[in-house]
Formats: sequence, structure tokens, C-alpha cells
Amino acid sequence: MKLPKDKQVIVERHNKIVYDCGDTVVKVFNGNKPAADIFAEATKVARADQAGINVPELVEVSKAGVNWAISTKKVVGTTLREQLKANPEREDEILDQLIALELDVHAHKSPLMGRQKDKLTRMINAASDIIGEAQRYELLHSLEGMPNHSKLCHGDFVPSNIIVPEDGGAPVILDWAHATQGNGAADCAITYLHLKLNGEDEFAEKYLHRYCERQGCTVGYVQSWCSIVAAAELSRGRVHEQDFLLSWVDVVDWV
Amino acid sequence: MSEETNVVYDDGAALVVRSDEELSQKLALMREAQKVFATFTQEQVDKIFFEAAMAANKARIPLAKMAVEETGMGCVEDKVIKNHYASEYIYNAYKNTKTCGVIEEDPVAGIKKIAEPIGVIGAVIPTTNPTSTAIFKCLIALKTRNAIMISPHPRAKKCTAEAARIVNDAAVAAGAPEHLIGWIEALSLENTQTLMAESDIILATGGPGMVKAAYSSGTPALGVGAGNTPVIIDSTADVRMAVNSIIHSKTFDNGMICASEQSVTVLDDVYDEARAEFERRGCYFLKGEELDKVRKTIIINGRLNARIVGQRAATIAEMAGVEVPRSTKILIGEVESVDISEEFAHEKLSPVLAMYRAATFDEAIAKAERLVADGGYGHTSSLYIDTRETEKMAKHAAAMKTCRILINTPSSQGGIGDLYNFHLAPSLTLGCGSWGGNSVSENVGVKHLINIKTVAERRENMLWYRVPEKVYFKKDCMPVALDELGTIMGKKRAFIVTDSFLYKSGFTKQIESKLDAMGIAHACFYDVAPDPTLQCAQQGVAQIRSFEPDTIIAVGGGSAMDAAKIMWLMYEHPEAKFEDMAMDFMDIRKRIYTYPEMGQKCYFVAIPTSSGTGSEVTPFAIITDAETGIKWPLADYQLLPNMAIVDTNNMMTQPKGLTSASGVDVLTHALEAYVSIMASDYTDGLALRAGKLVFKYLARAYDDPNDLEARDHMANASCLAGMAFANAFLGVNHSMAHKLGAFHHIAHGWANAVILTRVMRYNAAERPTKMGTFSQYQYPHAKARYAEFGRYCGFTGANDDEVFENFIAGIEELKAHVGVKPTIRDFGVDEQYFLDTLDEMSEQAFNDQCTGANPRYPLISEIKELYLDAYYDRPASSYED
Repeated sequence: MKLPKDKQVIVERHNKIVYDCGDTVVKVFNGNKPAADIFAEATKVARADQAGINVPELVEVSKAGVNWAISTKKVVGTTLREQLKANPEREDEILDQLIALELDVHAHKSPLMGRQKDKLTRMINAASDIIGEAQRYELLHSLEGMPNHSKLCHGDFVPSNIIVPEDGGAPVILDWAHATQGNGAADCAITYLHLKLNGEDEFAEKYLHRYCERQGCTVGYVQSWCSIVAAAELSRGRVHEQDFLLSWVDVVDWV
Repeated sequence: MSEETNVVYDDGAALVVRSDEELSQKLALMREAQKVFATFTQEQVDKIFFEAAMAANKARIPLAKMAVEETGMGCVEDKVIKNHYASEYIYNAYKNTKTCGVIEEDPVAGIKKIAEPIGVIGAVIPTTNPTSTAIFKCLIALKTRNAIMISPHPRAKKCTAEAARIVNDAAVAAGAPEHLIGWIEALSLENTQTLMAESDIILATGGPGMVKAAYSSGTPALGVGAGNTPVIIDSTADVRMAVNSIIHSKTFDNGMICASEQSVTVLDDVYDEARAEFERRGCYFLKGEELDKVRKTIIINGRLNARIVGQRAATIAEMAGVEVPRSTKILIGEVESVDISEEFAHEKLSPVLAMYRAATFDEAIAKAERLVADGGYGHTSSLYIDTRETEKMAKHAAAMKTCRILINTPSSQGGIGDLYNFHLAPSLTLGCGSWGGNSVSENVGVKHLINIKTVAERRENMLWYRVPEKVYFKKDCMPVALDELGTIMGKKRAFIVTDSFLYKSGFTKQIESKLDAMGIAHACFYDVAPDPTLQCAQQGVAQIRSFEPDTIIAVGGGSAMDAAKIMWLMYEHPEAKFEDMAMDFMDIRKRIYTYPEMGQKCYFVAIPTSSGTGSEVTPFAIITDAETGIKWPLADYQLLPNMAIVDTNNMMTQPKGLTSASGVDVLTHALEAYVSIMASDYTDGLALRAGKLVFKYLARAYDDPNDLEARDHMANASCLAGMAFANAFLGVNHSMAHKLGAFHHIAHGWANAVILTRVMRYNAAERPTKMGTFSQYQYPHAKARYAEFGRYCGFTGANDDEVFENFIAGIEELKAHVGVKPTIRDFGVDEQYFLDTLDEMSEQAFNDQCTGANPRYPLISEIKELYLDAYYDRPASSYED
């Protein structure tokens, strides 16, 4: 694909740049990102769409120059993150909307989506330079003992990934790179973790308790996933998060 | 995964698994070794057990040091105690326990129990007690001739392996096969899963994930988990002893024992005293902000911070940024909430303790209940109390969903058994029952690691012979027998039960005159109708209650005697329920309902006026509820009359029909009792004699009602047959006859007779579909028994078959002689109605209480065919299967 000259950078990450290209949004990945990952991400968007979730319309997967890129139709609107910032007094309402959308995603099935436990296991094993043998052993046993579900899980369900269209249409959920099928509580633990990493302690606690209340599970049940998702997160190699994540990982059910 | 392991042990005779690929292979080697070990004698095993325990005991200090050094948790001196305990106490507890071959035998009962090993044990060992648990599990595996593959915790794999190596080397030196003990060095999820799938039993001590994995592996598992021991100090407790016991226990190995106290709830009135004692002995009460600092340190996201486990109180305080004296024993948080959101309510596995205040004992129990629910289901709870407070202790025991409830005992040392109570089995694997998701609720020991084969030899039941204490017979005996009531027993009030015919024809006069002569007051109920009803019995018992007799005299046929037995029962025990008493039984000794004791108010005399039912000597009575139509057949030796008076004088006026019907009934009683699965030498003689008398005298009594000799012998035959079937019971002939009577109103004796020879052929089958179930009934032999009966009655033949045929012909001849109609149809039973009711009748006959003693266990379909044969006069089939 060819990107327009007047493209605007929306966000720049260590492995990709996201551009606003007018009618479309294009994620251009850096050169060492394997093609398989790009197609996998595009496939996840397509599968979420097939499962009946409101996702941005997939336009094209092709190379933009030497790098692989995914192009989707642009949704004009504001993210829940932006709304929270602009209207702090609406926090409760936005939180409710976030949780309702997340529970709705969990109510869908996508049988061909990858398995959450496999993904978490891979990630924990990939963090072997940070997490010692004994800890990994405990984490993998804990993970193995968790209930097996097959709910569609987004994997990064944070307010910035929900966009409310200007035209008043239904909210659209962005960024399906981490989607799996598995346990909704794990998905909730990931959201909770990201809110905490983002320094939004109070909002995170509120989110956790309200999610559990709506879902009808105990806070302890979601908490039992915290060390696992934090360990998985360590595999991303973000040095500045490492100490915080390790403090979550270094817990025991029993020794 | 084992790249971190740079120490390679000299594994010698043990098996060390160093990669994921090796495990299955090494388990196969282990299995071979265990096969050899399985042939060892108790003596060989005990020698190995002794040497292994000695070796582990000798190594207790180096192993304790290794464990603390490797795990960075706990206290060397306390781990020495644990190792010492795991070797010495386990040896002592099981040194004399039989675990090989025959471990129990009772030749009289014919029962023998043989212990067999299970095979390969997959053992998961925790970090908290690595060496002691390894010693414990290896020792109990050796004692039970099992092999054991250990999966240590990665934090403690060196010391766990060393403990296993020491036990293994000593065992091999003492003669055990090589390769019985092994451990996994390459610890991975895959290896744990392989171990769980391939071992024969899993002995898992670990976290919820591990325990769950064990139980879902498909391999039988003894998986035990976490606790959250709550302690209550009651107002009546010895507070000083309580507080110091708790400190002693909570500081043991820096609080790492899973039975260790996690919270203490103190009753209001002793709270200050307890608090002061904790302080005096070096515990630190967290103040203000310190509480929150410790909260945040010990629990992260609802889970225990791994870094505080097994650390000293001062170290934990330092981590939390709280300044306490170095020697602080325990950090105590005085908190209020018992909800899991309170960090102090968790299991802490360190010298950190929650302290609660309770206004009442009930409040303390409620708190403890909640704390158990917070994460200690099934494990341990404890109570300090004056043990005279039995009511409180019972309340506490009822409320705690924990498998160990310790009284006035430090729970760390108390829960593992044999230290503070010598009947709680010593163990380092504490079962938490189904509450904790475990398969065992007690302390795991050698009995959980053996398969017990029970060899049970065939034995026969004790049988019995029970009849009334007095049976008087001979013509004119009645007044003589009745004389006993007055002269010997000193009875004062007699109540006569009879039917209106007998009453009106003056039968009771003779009795009344005799009673008058003896000065015994009497009253009479003479409204008993055939097939007596509950309502009739209720009327009778009302009169009995107002008359208050000390004797009941039943005069008449089966109906009057049955009704009188029921009145007797209702008079003596108005509380007894017919539904309960009439419940069918498989074995009268094992019946669910126990009959009440009879004879406390009344002596029971039965005087038959027909020669048929034998009710004067039987423990049976049937009563019908006229309102519901339900028949209650009652059977119990409590219903046996105390005295039977068989006086031929009373039999002389029987009409021909009654003589016939009751006569063939006697024959059926005798025959069924003789072929019953419960027939015995004691009943056989009575049955044979009764049968012979019927053949000799029934036709005569029928032809000439005034033939006194024939009447006399028929009266005796009836009573003899009654005593036979009172003990050997009857069979399917009676079951079927009962339903012919109920559905088609055929007189009972004739209902028996019309199917008798067909049922005999059916029972005589040498290849029945099913035979009756009773230990002494060894094989189908009814034909030989019938032939024996026939021969005794004078029938002959070259073999059993011929005698049997001749006997059947003789019975048919006798039946015809006394006017028994040949088919059911001939009794005037409407064909359509018969067919309409046939299925119900067949099922009810199958379910009749009499069916159980039949030598052939009937199918409902077979009963139906027998009915059809007897209705249409179809030729008898062979009735073989």
C-alpha cells in the first residue's frame, strides 16, 4: 500500500507507528516484526468481526515500502480515555460503559482464536531471564490449575482502545493483537494491571470491584490471575515496569 | 530447565531424572524394582524401615542446615525437630504395623485381610518442610513396599534430593532393591504432569494448582493443601498457657507449618490479660500506620508475599518499614474484619498473627468459622478452654469445618500428631477432607499406601427354631391347659377374641365356665370377620383397653387368631406403626424395623378350631385396612403366642369345605417349608410328619367328619406344619395363592392347592433361571427334596424323577378326593377379569414376603405363565430356564 503524504502520526511505539491516513488508519510495523505476526493480528480483527464484535473494518494487509502494514477504516470519534480526561465527572458512567463492553466481548465465542493459557505459558517462559526457575514453576502450576473457559478475550481492554463514534454509532473496539479465547477474569486482571501501570490506582480499584460485582465473581478470583498476567507482561521487556511487575509476581499460594 | 543445577549428586542406587525425556524411562526402571520389593517379607521390610529411619535421623542436623540455606526460610533448630520427628516418630508409630501379606485374620468369621503395595508413588514435596516431608514420604513408602518418585519444589530441590538419597542409600544397604527411590531434578510442568499420569498414586502436598492437577490427572491422589488455623481463647482458658502455647507454635520454624495459628480471637473479659502476656513474652503489637505498612507487605493482590514466608518477625517488620526489637517473636495486628479483604485474615506462613476481640463465645465461633472459610477449609482449628466446658466445646467442634480440632494445644506441633496427643496419627501430610478438596480427612499414614485384599470365605448364617413356650395337644386338653392360667400363673382378667359364629354356637362357653370356676374375670369380643380388618381390631382393642386384661385368649381359625395378635400388639404398643412393622425384609434378622417387646401387659393363648393355618404357633398375622384396602402382613417372633392349645374337640364341627381347604393348606405349608432355602434339620422332621399325616388322614376326615382319630391327626399335622413354616418360612406357592385370594376370592387353602403341583414342577427345575439367595442354599435341589418328601409319604419309584411324578399324581388324587377344583377357571374366575388383573397379580405375587424363601427366585413373567397354565389347564411345561 502507499501511504498519503499528509499522513499524521497518531502514536509511535517501539515496534510500530500508527498513522491517520484520512479515511483509514494504518499500522506500520518495523522491519523485524515477522509477517506471521502481522497476518495473525489482522486475522484476529477479522475473527472478532466474525464473532459479532464492533471492530474497525479491515481494509488491507500489505507492505508499505519494506515494512508490513495493516490498514483499517478510520472511526471518527473519541476514545473512552479521551472522554475520561475531558469529563472527569462522568467517570462512573464511563466505567460502567467500559465494563459493559468488556462483559459483552466475553459473552462472545471465537472458536478459532488462540488459547489464552497457551499464550500466557509462552509469555511466562519467554521471561525466563527475569523470572527464576522456581517462580516460573509455581506460576505455570498456578496457571495450569485455573479454570478453562472459552470466552472471547481482548487481552488489552483499556479505555484508550474503545472509541465512541461521533455519529452516535455503537462503540468500536480497537487493537486485537492480544486477543485469545479463555478466562474472562484473566482479561479483567490484564485491564486492572494496565490501569495500575498507568498510575490510575483509584480508577483501577473501582474498575476491579465493579467488574467483579457485575460479573458475579469474587475479587480474589480475579486477583488469583494477577501474578500470572504480570509475569506474562514481563516478557515484553519494558524495563521501567519490571520492578512493579515483579512485586506482583513474587507471591505464593503455598510453598 | 535444569541449567541452574550445577551440583550433580552421586545418585548411586537412586534414580535421578535430569530431563523431560528421562522420566517415563526411569519410572519403568522403578516399576521393575518395585515388583521385586513387592515380594519382600514383613521382616525384610521392617529391617529396611529401621535402617532408613536411623539414617535419616542421623542426618537431621545437616539436612536442616541445607534446607534453611537453600530455601532461605525457617529456622535450623526447628527443622532439626521436624527431621527428628519424621524419622523417629514415624518409625515408632509404624514399627509394629503389619503392612505385608496377611495383616488381619479371623478364622471363625472366615475373613482375612492381605496388604499389597500400590506400586509407584508420585510424591510432590513443598518448600516449607522439604527434608522432613521427604523423609516421611520415603519411609512410609518403604514400609508399604512401594517405590517413590519425588518431585521436589525448585526452591528446595537440593535438600529434598539429599534427604531422599540418604533414605535410599540406607534402604539399599539394608537389602532393598535399587531404584526404589528417585527424584526429579529437571522440574517442569511437563514432568509433574507425566509423574501424575504415570504413577499409581499421587501423594501431593502443595498449592491449590498442584492439588487440583493431582486430582484431575486421573491417577488416585492423596492431595492435601493449605490451612488458615483460627484460635479461640475462651474466658475459662488458662490464659498464660494459651498465650505461650500460641507463641511456641507460631514461632516454630518461623510460622511455616500449615497447621500454624493465623489468628487468635480472645474473649473480651480475658483480652487484656492475653494481650499483656503476649507483650510480656516478646510479641509486638502493631500500632497506627504500622498496621497498614505490614498489611501491604504481607499480602499483594490478595496473595501471600513470597518474601515474608518463613522469615523472622523483625525481618518482616524491616521489610515493611516498621521498627521493632530484633528479638520480637510475633508481629500482632489487632484487627476487626474477618473478611478476606483484610490482609491479616489470610494465611501468613510467618510469625505474623491477627488478633480479634469477641464479646461472646458465639461471636468468637462466628469469626473462626469465617476465617476457616477464608482459606482454611478442612485443615485445623484450635480452642483454649477449661475442658469442663463441654457444651462450648461441642458447639465449637460442630461449627468448625476442619479435620483437626485441637484443644489447649499449640497447633503446629499438635496438628502433626503424637506430640501433644498420642492418638492423633503422626504425619507430615494432613488431609483436609472434601472441604479442602482432598480425598482424605485424616493424617496420612501407611494405611493410605496399601491396597487391602479381603478374602472372605463362605459362611452360613446362624439359624433358629422358635415356637411358643407351651404347646398343649390331645382331645379334651383345653380345660386342663386353661387351668394353668389360674392355678399356676394367677391370672385375673381374660379377654376372649373370637368370631360371631363360634360365639353363638357356644364354643366360648366352655372357656368362660372354666374361667368362672377359677375366678378369672372375662370379657369377649366376637365380631371378627374373615380377612379381619384394622377397623375390627381397633374396636376390639378399645374394649381391651377398658377391660385391662392380663390374658388374651384367641379362639377360632386363622382370622380370629390373627385379629387377636393384632389387638394384642396394639394394646401393648399403641405407638407402633403398621407401615413400619409390615415393611418387607430380605432377612428377618436384618430387618430395618425392630419390633417392640410383647407380653408386658398380656399373656397370649391361641386355641385353633380348624386344622389349617397353624397360626397358634406362627409369628405371622395379616390385617387389612378396610379404608385403604391395604393389607399389612406382619411377621415377627414377638407375635408368637405364648401358649397354643390344640384340642381336637374344637375341630369336630368343621364343615367339609373347611376340612378340605385347611387340609390342603397344611400340605402346602409342609411342602414349602421343606423345600424352603431356610429349611433346617429342625423343621424338616416337622414338615415330613405333617405331610405324612395329611396323606393318611385328610381323606378320612373329609369323608367322615366324626372320624375322631383322623381329626386328631389332622389337628396335629396343622400345628406341626405351622411350627415348620414358622421357622423355615414358605415360598412362591403362598405368594401366588395370596393374590388369588385377594383378587379372585378363592379360599386360601384351595388357592394354594390349585397351583401346588405346577409350582412344585417349577421349583423342581434342575436348571432354574435364578436360584434363591441364602448362604446355606448351595445349589438347586428342590426336586430331590420333593422326592424325599414323597418317599416319606409312601410314594415310590426307581429314581427321584419317578418318585416325584408319582408324588405329584398322589397329590392330584388327594386334591380331587377332597373336592379341589382342577383349574383357576373352575373356581368361577371370569376370564376377562383374570386377564385384566394378571399383570398386577403377578407383580404383587413376586413382591410377596413369602417369595424370598422360595428355592427358585421367580421372574415376574414366570409367575404369570404359572397363573395362565393353572387357569387354562395348560399342560405343565418343564419350567427349565
